[in-house]
Amino acid sequence: MEINAAFFADLFLHSLSLWWVIVPSIFLGLVVGAIPGFSAANTIIVLLPFTLIMEVEVGLVFMVALYCASRMGAGIPAILVNIPGTAGAAATPLDGYPMVKKGQGQQALAMSFTASTLGGILTTVIALAAMPLLARVGFYMHSVEMVVVMLFGISLIATIAAKDTLKGLIAGFLGLMIGSIGTDHVYATPRGTMGFLELYDGIPLIPALVGLFAISEAFLVIEGESILSRHSRERLQSSSWAQTLQGFAITLKKWWHVTWTSLIGLVIGVTPGAGAAIAAFVAYQQSRTLSKTPELYGTGHPEGLIAPEAANNGVTAGTLIPLLVLGIPGGATAAIMLVVMQYQGVNVGPRLFSAQPELGYGIFMAMFVTYLLMAFTILPMSRYMSRVTLVSTTYMSPLIVGFTLIGSFVPREYMFDMFLAFAFGILGYIARKTGYHVAAILIGVILGPLMEGYMLVALQKSDGDPFTLFSSPLGNVLWLALVASLLLPVFLKHRQRRQAAAFSEGEG
Amino acid sequence: MPKENVFSPASGLSRRLVLKTGAAVAAVAGAQGLAIPAFAAGFPERNISVIVPTREGGGADRNLRAFTAIWKKYLDTNFEPGFYPGASGRVGYEVYMGKFEADAYSLIFGNMGPEVLNWVVKEPNFSIDDYIYWGRVDTDPGCLFVGAESNMKTIDDVIAEGKKRKLNVGTSRLAHPASIGMLALADKAGIEVNLIPLSGGKRTVAGAVTGEVDLSVLTSGTVAAAGDAVRTLLVFNDENVLGEALDNAPTMNQHFGTDLPPMLSSRAFGIHKAAVDNHPDRFEVLQSSFRKVFEDPDYKAGVLKAKGHWEYVNYGGVEECAAFKQSMLELGAQYKSYLTGK
Repeated sequence: MEINAAFFADLFLHSLSLWWVIVPSIFLGLVVGAIPGFSAANTIIVLLPFTLIMEVEVGLVFMVALYCASRMGAGIPAILVNIPGTAGAAATPLDGYPMVKKGQGQQALAMSFTASTLGGILTTVIALAAMPLLARVGFYMHSVEMVVVMLFGISLIATIAAKDTLKGLIAGFLGLMIGSIGTDHVYATPRGTMGFLELYDGIPLIPALVGLFAISEAFLVIEGESILSRHSRERLQSSSWAQTLQGFAITLKKWWHVTWTSLIGLVIGVTPGAGAAIAAFVAYQQSRTLSKTPELYGTGHPEGLIAPEAANNGVTAGTLIPLLVLGIPGGATAAIMLVVMQYQGVNVGPRLFSAQPELGYGIFMAMFVTYLLMAFTILPMSRYMSRVTLVSTTYMSPLIVGFTLIGSFVPREYMFDMFLAFAFGILGYIARKTGYHVAAILIGVILGPLMEGYMLVALQKSDGDPFTLFSSPLGNVLWLALVASLLLPVFLKHRQRRQAAAFSEGEG
Repeated sequence: MPKENVFSPASGLSRRLVLKTGAAVAAVAGAQGLAIPAFAAGFPERNISVIVPTREGGGADRNLRAFTAIWKKYLDTNFEPGFYPGASGRVGYEVYMGKFEADAYSLIFGNMGPEVLNWVVKEPNFSIDDYIYWGRVDTDPGCLFVGAESNMKTIDDVIAEGKKRKLNVGTSRLAHPASIGMLALADKAGIEVNLIPLSGGKRTVAGAVTGEVDLSVLTSGTVAAAGDAVRTLLVFNDENVLGEALDNAPTMNQHFGTDLPPMLSSRAFGIHKAAVDNHPDRFEVLQSSFRKVFEDPDYKAGVLKAKGHWEYVNYGGVEECAAFKQSMLELGAQYKSYLTGK
């Protein structure tokens, strides 16, 4: 079969004809993505018996659409009520929620949807065009390089600490310490588990996420009548379709920002084992570093919302590349997809694209069509979704606590996880009341264990030689980029100050 | 403002209606209750929980789904898998032994190779005699493999390279029969290796394919499933029964003239010992229905459709499983210092 423009046009029309699978899957994906604890992976598992009896292409299209939509869905509660539905959405509330508090919820949702859709479409097209090349990324991104990538994300702690160095660093180190709970990577010896079997596999992410962000927020907002101030309420109540269009337009204007942050997601996504959480934090950190207005980050800055949303949707196409090209699933959802494909007798790996090109390329085309359909189906909903924030905290707080506790229970079905979420909620509440940043704690909890895993592999490979971290050319380039990204803001600030001083001297 | 009475006629719900509905519900529930004793005469009368100590999407998941899809025909019930990964399988076993009743309605689906080796590294919180493996599904030998782009094309290339430098070898976990096979090979060939646990089969394959490590060792079924992305160079068994699917790689005993016992992983169902003692009739039903699956042509078709290897499907009962468990405990004791780092 010849792979040319006509082939892709046919594939596009065929994928479009499967709209009857894609549209319901989008809505299902949005719902499961938005509920903490649920995800595309566990929904596919629950629906596995149905997926296995579907025709293979219908089953795959269903999974792909569900996967893309769930990624976007996770951003909705992260923005509206400060509850990231998954670890991949953990960086979304940093600027999304402050926008909501300013009464710009509708605009924030429109931005998130547009950034996700554009990021998804762009990375899918790039994946289609450059699949063999992208599949090579994993051959260069080894443990040494991944240690540096992790450090990009972890360095966000230092950025956060810039406002109050001591408190920021304390919060970050606390997070890293919490993240080291669990059995060690080599001998599986329990560390800091306090005898709780439930902690052997490390701190479960969903209870940590919802506890630190959502439950602590619920405790805080109950102190007032509404999440929003009176001014913000009036602003939201008087909002019209114009706000949706405004959010859409702002994101389109920042197309370059969407492009490069979604590419960060794509590159991290194609690296087996890395995931959306790393991509979102790295994209946020880089976006802030290269911004002309870094001081606005954390206060409801559009770029701070666009970056993680574009990046985590860039991961979606990325994780499928090692699965389809190399036969190595890049993440949990990809692993479940592999089960379905193997059950259906699909040979993933290098031969897929020569033996069944319509299936190999078709998966990415289905992803492309899903993102296109999402643009039309989801964007208009931002106006109505944003009204959630008008609900009184009398009802909102118990709902948040109830939903998030259930969400904590779902992934592992341990009652322990509900108590753990509550404990993280109290920790988050104390942190917020005393001026510590919960995001710094969370970055440590999420990225700490990943960083440890990569670091151990790198050190084991070199018999414990720490200089191995500087032994790879690509790693060294990344080190330089990391140092530059840490020093650049300091340099720019210094220059700005000097210019201001020179200007005032000139004025004088 | 007075509270609105929800039982007012205006609400559409009268007290009489509620009482009537309540009575009807009670009657239905009562009728069901009467029906239960007649149904309870047989086993099983409800779904059976299967605890899997690894993550969804792995080899155990695939194996379990293929097997229970047929077994449910003979047992006339459904299976509810629950995945409890963590600490090299330890979490799943602790959950099974600590939280599930010993009533034959819950089983564990484990890997007798690495998971028994775990007990040598660190004893669990329960006595390892409190559960037994009774239904072996397969035996899957470990193998040594490299990524398709590796410069090492044969096992002799590996040894030659190992003479020049220490080799980095990926493994899913230290306490794994394939890891022990690798250590035995290093001993025999006089080479040095760094065994690097990469946490799971998928990452171990990825490590070899992407060149993170020089080579990897793993159960051969998973390696064969990786297809052209990898090249198998040695099998830790008496015979390479998969032949071409494992690149016609030689076995260690053939190639090096050793007398190494097969380094097998073996997936099997386990059950609380107390359930066997207290409900021998139920255990009998489980065993007899389990045995029938292996003779069912649909099972073979299912295994092959899921890209499994029928050659590795290998029925085993209580005795075979006990012998396997014992051999793993002995193997673990032999390599204990390496597995524990002490």
